[in-house]
This record gives sequence, structure tokens and C-alpha cells, in this order.
Amino acid sequence: MPPRIQSRSVSNTLLPYLTAPSSSSSSLSSLSSLSSSSSKCLSRQFSATAAPQGQTKLRRQMFEWLNNEGAVFQYHVPGGTNYLTRLKQRDFDGPEKARPFPNNQSFFSEAVLSEELRNEVYNRVVEQKKSVRVVSVELGIDMKRIAAVVRLVELEKRQRAQGKPLALPYARAIHEMVPTTPLAEQGERQTYHEPINDLPAHPLTGSQIFYPVPESRSFNRVEAGRVFSGAPAMEHSEAAQISHPSDLTEKIIENPNSIGWVGKGANARQILQPADVRIPHPHMVALERDRLANPNERLAVADLQSKRLERQDAIEKERGERIQARREKKLTTVSPENSRFDYRIKDTIYTTETTGVDGRGSKAVGRRYGVPHRDRTRGEVKIPTRVEA
Amino acid sequence: MRNRASNALAKGKIRQSWSKYNLYNLQRFRSPPTANRTFFQQKWSAKAVSRAYHGEQVGEGQWKRMFNHRIRSVIPMNASDLAADDGSLVSSGRGSGLDKHGKPAYQTRPIPYSHMAFAPLERRLDVAIFRALFASSARQARQFVIHGAVTVNGQKMRHPSYLLNPGDLFQVEPERVMYATGHTKTAYERRQGRLARRKAKAEAEEAEAAPEVEAEPKETAKEGTKEPEKEDTKETLKALLAQAKAVMSAGKETLAPQRKQELRGFQQAVRRVLSRSGSSSVLADSLEAQFSQLTLMLKAKRGEKPATKEVKPRPEDAFATENPVKKDTEAAVSDKLSEAFAQATLGNDVDASELNDEEFETLKRALTQMRDNPLDNTKCYSTPWQPRQYMSAFAFIPRYLEVNQNICAAVYLRHPVARPGSAEVPTPFGESVATPAYGWYLRRRW
Repeated sequence: MPPRIQSRSVSNTLLPYLTAPSSSSSSLSSLSSLSSSSSKCLSRQFSATAAPQGQTKLRRQMFEWLNNEGAVFQYHVPGGTNYLTRLKQRDFDGPEKARPFPNNQSFFSEAVLSEELRNEVYNRVVEQKKSVRVVSVELGIDMKRIAAVVRLVELEKRQRAQGKPLALPYARAIHEMVPTTPLAEQGERQTYHEPINDLPAHPLTGSQIFYPVPESRSFNRVEAGRVFSGAPAMEHSEAAQISHPSDLTEKIIENPNSIGWVGKGANARQILQPADVRIPHPHMVALERDRLANPNERLAVADLQSKRLERQDAIEKERGERIQARREKKLTTVSPENSRFDYRIKDTIYTTETTGVDGRGSKAVGRRYGVPHRDRTRGEVKIPTRVEA
Repeated sequence: MRNRASNALAKGKIRQSWSKYNLYNLQRFRSPPTANRTFFQQKWSAKAVSRAYHGEQVGEGQWKRMFNHRIRSVIPMNASDLAADDGSLVSSGRGSGLDKHGKPAYQTRPIPYSHMAFAPLERRLDVAIFRALFASSARQARQFVIHGAVTVNGQKMRHPSYLLNPGDLFQVEPERVMYATGHTKTAYERRQGRLARRKAKAEAEEAEAAPEVEAEPKETAKEGTKEPEKEDTKETLKALLAQAKAVMSAGKETLAPQRKQELRGFQQAVRRVLSRSGSSSVLADSLEAQFSQLTLMLKAKRGEKPATKEVKPRPEDAFATENPVKKDTEAAVSDKLSEAFAQATLGNDVDASELNDEEFETLKRALTQMRDNPLDNTKCYSTPWQPRQYMSAFAFIPRYLEVNQNICAAVYLRHPVARPGSAEVPTPFGESVATPAYGWYLRRRW
């Protein structure tokens, strides 16, 4: 135990230092509690250490920051973001996107769809019966997002009709805090919400390949894709037919099986296609090419484009129906009366791919002799991996 | 699982939470120093600091199994660039395009791959709920899931570690969301709520005791339809006033000064209406019907008058929650508002020509506000609902989610991706933490 110091002499010498901070920090809300604790300290006879004043140093510093600099974050500013980076910004340069984290230079708070824009999307898709692809190009919204918006608005309408509780004040407050993409006024151009032609980086393109090409030959995206996937170079006659990589688009939409394969067995993979084919809106490249070829015939080009879109939609729709029909043919659904469940019954396919070489593969369907059900094996994770919509 | 996610000030760790402690920690966070430290030490501290934020509720072994060194990225393509060039321009010369005055033909920003190290955790249901702004922390989101307040594709899901698939729709009960994101109740409000609940219970018991006696007075009330409905309008207005008053007296310390001012203005307006409309003759059976009638009348009046000046409501005001009265022109606007109110309740012609567009919008908003966000002390959050303090500093919605706040539902569109110049995984750390942390989990691959 450390030697005790005579309390009276110490408390006398410490007195000015004890009282000084409490008087200087008059901006604190807990002023009264501070002064009362310091007065208690005077009356305490046997303690040599200064009383902790109810707060640690860190806590005091925190509340000091929250009451001064941090006070701006207490309430939101309607119509603007209120992130920490606001403190560090010296000059307010407008076009910069808002960053919520001061240390992270590459994360931005992206705009969300405003209520009107969301309803407009629903209106165009459901009531005007436009295709998702067309609406996506018109409003500059990703096709997946459009599908999600339609789903969510539909759900909202249903819930409103059922009289279920809604979180309307919450929704309004969020739309005040977060940047939003507004719906353009009549006659104005709609600002794009997000880039719609995102090309996913294919893992095959990650490798660095040294591939010598004669200088006399032009090396385009179709050939680059073949090199990345390890396919042999095209014949000259075949290559001559392709004037531009987007020529492949039409062919692949009509017949997806026209993409060639490389490798054997488990290593078999499709040849990597050029970006013109893999982007979500390949028809936009075709439109741009038409525009470049016929700069003075805007109407004719637009007409051609609408016809092209119609044709592609029809093909895709037909293929979707065919796949659906095939799937339904294989599957029978039994829904007994007074049952909570529907039973989907599929024919088992007994091949080496489905049941394994010895017929005991763990992924195979049905009860097989000598193979325990996977539910019963040790360490089996039972958290569902998907929920059917 | 024990909650170790405290917001201790001494350690200063950043968490997935909206608390003010966390805000302070976020503000004072400095990346761990690298000078005089071995590479192992740098990676260790970077990993420790980023795991305190990313998936702190997930065990280290589980996270290691989830980690994937391959990171998803996309490149936004320009259709006109693709149309103009078939790729031979980029491959010309020595294979990387011909120089244009010393600059490369195609300039791209670097893709921040290492910021995406914790992308697999964003698939988790509890993290996604936090990212969609439905809970104030990942821990709270986890609790909502365990307590059965969350559905995925319409089915109740009780596993916080469920990994969302692209296209999954998850929904949280709106009441829970309002509780998580709203102000907490004061002691006074809690007491009022208790009293209200007790009163409702007593009334229910009384009604149960005497159901036969109740039936007759109802019929008599129906005969004299006109008289009670006349009263009704006045009653609703009175109720509005009482609400505003209650708000003013109750949560004094929780109300922002500006909001107080606004509420006071509205209170004044309603009081003036009440004093003038001694004999009200508007036939409206509910507040909702009255609201719709009022707006209809105002709209009709506006339609007749040729619009001399079209004042569009400013975009930032379009969604304003509770701006019944602008603070700068408080007195003037509230005067006109009360005028319009009085005219409407008297059933006279409303001279809406005096009200400009902005004022009309304001009136409409105030009425909507009173209908959608009522005072109800039996709720588990402070009413009228207002966002909790320090929430706006954390309010952002990443692009891989599409959220509908009205029904508190969101769709997980796709996995988060990196693109030139930005990464979609929300992480508070800079490159100097993200890269060593990614390197730590690469283990022998780096």
C-alpha cells in the first residue's frame, strides 16, 4: 500500500486546479453536478486522490465534442446529407458526391429513387405495359432494380388495401436525409439514376497473357475473348464475317447455343464473349452504330431500333415460355385439401452425375439403402440456403 | 451469444451502430501506425480494427470460411465508345493503344478491390437489415430476426445468418422499425402511455360487462345524424389542438427548437379556426374524409383561378416531414392558414387565390402530417414520430439494396461490386487498413 499523504495539505494545494476546470467548462450541461462533486471533495477527509468528478476524461471529451462540433449531427438537415465529412470540408464544392466516412475515400452515399420516380416506374411497366428493358433505358435505372421496384410497389399497394400499418413518417424522414434522384418535370430530360451498362469483370480476364499478334492484323474484342478462354484463333473466313463485335449479339440472342465451347469434361467452358454481347443492353451498341452509319436519318434509325427491340423481346419471351413448359412437364404439384403444404414431385434421374459413381452420392434425391439422410449426419448446417418466393 | 459490442471509449472501436458514442469514435479514429512495425503486426491490427466493425457478431472461424479472395467488380461501359471501336484501337501499337500526346488512349481510375474484403458479410440477413436503415445497429437487426419480426420472401426467417440470394425480398415489421429509428419516450410519455393502456383496458371490461345496454343509444345517435356530425368537425379540430399542446408540454427536451416553433404556429392556426367557426356546417364523418374534402375544395378553387405565378415547391421541400409553417414567415403564413381553415369549416368559398402554391402545399403537408403521424402514447416510441438523434450521420443506402421505406421492405438486388473509383461495401476504413486486412485473410496466398 502506498504511503498516505496528509489530506488537508494536499487538498489545499490542489484546490485551484480542482475548481478551475469545472468553471471553464461552463458550456457543459452537467455543470451543477460537477460543482457539487468538487465541493464534496473538500469535505472528504481521508482521501488523497482527486475525486473523478463523475466522468472520466474520455467521457468528458466526448460530451464536449458532442456539444460543440458534433451538435450539427443531432438533427438532420432536410434535403441534404449530414455526414461526418462535413466537418473536414473547407470549401463546399457542390458536384462532389457525399462521403459518409471521413477515412474512406472510395465509398459514396448514392442517391435512392424518389417516391415519384418509383411510382413512375410502376406506371410505365404495369399500366403502360412497357418492357423492363425499355423503361430501364428511358429512366436510367438498372433492370434488376426496376423489377424490384415493381415488386415493392405492388406489395405496398396490397398492404395499403389490407389496412396494414405503414411507416410513413419514417419514410419521409429517410428521404430527407439520403440523396434522391427526382423524377424529371414534363418536357425535361430524366437524369440517369445509375450506370445501366455495367460489364461484370470475368475471372478469366484476370490473367496476364503474352500473346504475339502480327502488326498487320487488327486484334479486336472477339479475338481477345478467345485468347482469354484459351480457344484457338478463328479461321480467316469466319473472322471476315464479323465486321464489329456487336454483330454477334443478334446471333447469340437468336440461338444461345451458338457460343462455342473449349476444354473437356469438368474443365469445359464457354468461349468468353466480347463486352458488346455481355453488357445488359447490347442493343444500345447497335443503335449507336446505326447512328454513326446514318447520321442524318434519325427517324429511320429510331424505327429500326424499336423493331429490333420488339424482335428480341419476342424471341426471349418465346424461349422463356418454352423453358417454363419443359419444367412444368417434369414437375407435378400435389396440394392435398386441409394441408399446409404443396408437394412438388420430380422424377429422379439415376446417373453418375446425380447419385455419384457408387450410387451413394450425398446430393442425390430420395432414400437409398445404406445412405443416411443428410439431416441426420453430424455437423449438418440446417439454416436454409434459399427461400422460394 | 454474449454481446461484446460495447462502445467503450478507451478502445475507440467503430461498430455497426448509430449511437453517439460510435459517432464520436468514428470521428476520432486514426488508422493504426505502420512505422517501426512488422508486416505481421500491421496486418494483425488492421484485421482487428476492421473485424470490430464487419461481422463482429460472426465467429472468426465462420468468417474465415466465408471469406473469398475473388472480388466482384464491374466496369461501366459506354455504348457509343463500344460502337466507335471494335477493340483494335486499344490493342494497336505495342498492345496498349497508341499514345495521344503522352497520355494513354483509355484512362481509368483504379478499382478499390481491397475495400471489398468483407463483401460476403453483406449478404447476411442481419447486416442487410442494418444497411437498409431498418435497425439502429446490426445487433438490433439480429434481435429483430430472432424475435420473429422479419420475413424473407413472405416467410418468417429466424436465422440472422441466412445469406440473402439476389432477388430476395425481406421485410421488417414497421412498428419495430419505427421503434428502432425513432426517439425514445420520456418518463412522462411512458406514464401517459401506461394510463392510456389502463383506461382502454377498463373500458374494454366495461363494454364486456354491458353489451346489451350499448346497442340502443347507437340507434338514437343515428337518427340525429346531422347534429353530431356538425360537432364532429369541431371536435377533430379541437383534438388537433390538444395534440399539438400535448406535444409542446410533454417531450420538451426531446424537441428541436425549430420544430417547437413550427408546432406552435400550427397550434395558433387551429386555435383561431376554432374561435371563428362557432357554427360549423361541414359534413364530414372522419378526419380523413374532412382532410380529403378540404384539399379538394382548395384544389378546385385553385383550378378556377388562372395561375398568375407558378411557384414550384423547392426540391428539398418536396418531402419535408414536419414543416407546417416556415419559421421565417411564420406569423404571415399561419394567418393565411387559419383563414383558409376557417373558410373551409364554415363551408364558404375558400379564397385560395390568396394562398400561393407554397402555402397551399404547406397546408396540405400539415394536414397530412397530422393524419399520418399522430400522437399516441401507447406506442413504444415517442410520438409524433421523429428520427432519433445522430441518425443522419449514418443514413445511406448502398446500391445493392432497393428499399421501400413505407412498408419497411427491401430487395437484395445483387452482390456488392467494386467499380472504378468506388466500392459498394460500406466500410469506415481507408486503404491503409483495408489492404492489410485483406492480406491477413489471404494467408498464404499473399
